[in-house]
Amino acid sequence: MSVYMDLNIIAISDKKRLQNIIETAAHLGYSTVAINYVVEPQQKKQQIPKPLSASELCEKLPIVQGKSRPIKVLNRLTVVATEASHFRPSSEYKNFDILAVYPKTEKLFHAACMTYDVDIISIATTEKQPFYCKRSPVNGAIERGVFFEISYTAAIRDSTMKKYTIANAINLVDVCKGKNVILTSGVENPLELRGPYDIANLGLVFGLSEGDAKAAVSTNCRSVILHGETRMTALGIIHMMMKKKKSQPPIEQPEEETPAVKRAKTETL
Amino acid sequence: MEEKPASYERVVYKNTSEYHYMKICLVCENRSKTLSPEQFKQLIISGVKDLYGEVGAAFPFDLLTFDQSALSAILRVYNRGLVKLWSALTLIGEYEDEPCAFRVTQVSPFLLALSGNSRELELY
Repeated sequence: MSVYMDLNIIAISDKKRLQNIIETAAHLGYSTVAINYVVEPQQKKQQIPKPLSASELCEKLPIVQGKSRPIKVLNRLTVVATEASHFRPSSEYKNFDILAVYPKTEKLFHAACMTYDVDIISIATTEKQPFYCKRSPVNGAIERGVFFEISYTAAIRDSTMKKYTIANAINLVDVCKGKNVILTSGVENPLELRGPYDIANLGLVFGLSEGDAKAAVSTNCRSVILHGETRMTALGIIHMMMKKKKSQPPIEQPEEETPAVKRAKTETL
Repeated sequence: MEEKPASYERVVYKNTSEYHYMKICLVCENRSKTLSPEQFKQLIISGVKDLYGEVGAAFPFDLLTFDQSALSAILRVYNRGLVKLWSALTLIGEYEDEPCAFRVTQVSPFLLALSGNSRELELY
């Protein structure tokens, strides 16, 4: 089973609140979060921001609940595209682990599905989707390993947006048959964050099957991150692990360690 | 007499349990917020009605226990209402114009399972 991830935490300038959100996410059981920087090129002079590294953000990353590992923090860029010129691959995109695009028109949606070199395509949650997701571009995106994102925070904030989120999500899930969907938060406030199991359950409301809903917060997110890594290379990635040599007997170390613990105990007595 | 070794009994449910039990906790921005059990249940009912409407909210659920100081509670709901109740809890975002959140700690078909939480055990 894969770990739970939340790939959309809006990068707010208030550093303390961002730390608070990351802490809450770790407490709820998310092993990986992505800080999302949003750029809207139609507003003039929008620069692509420089992502903060995880160490700049928090001095000590909080420990994930139920695991003894600290939370992993990634960077993500979302380009809001209303015109074709808004999304152009540049070297600045390379600073981010994940690249997402939020197409506002049908033409751009088609282009994003078929040709854009992105990892995530965001679906509108704060407004009515102005176009219908057709099956052929969606199938093309699934084939290329691009994922569709539904973020749920808008649904918590406002009842009208709840309607739009659910309607758009059901539409999307109908077209893609539950494949290649990820559920993310998009929070700006720690109280808007929900636990991974809650979100998997919310996926059922959006029409996903039980397995797909769980995958939407775990395995699919992992695929997104791996897809993001392949974007930086030519073809693919290989993970390598150092294996211990067999000739060295590894028994010696634990033998040394056990008495050390015992000694510590007697000392305290 | 031959002494029998300690034995244990394995209980298998052939049919799925009728109910599900949920242990939940309300987190408010204002930490000193207090609610009566009636207000607490009303908050949940209005959340379900917001999301599913009058017809969709027509499933019974019970508030078994409520801890006023920690704002934690145990709910009992029929299986077919679980997804509805849970999703409604997820989408509740405010109480009396103040941000709040329901944290679902545990969900189980057995009430006994809620007596302990393996995730809060401290292992050495």
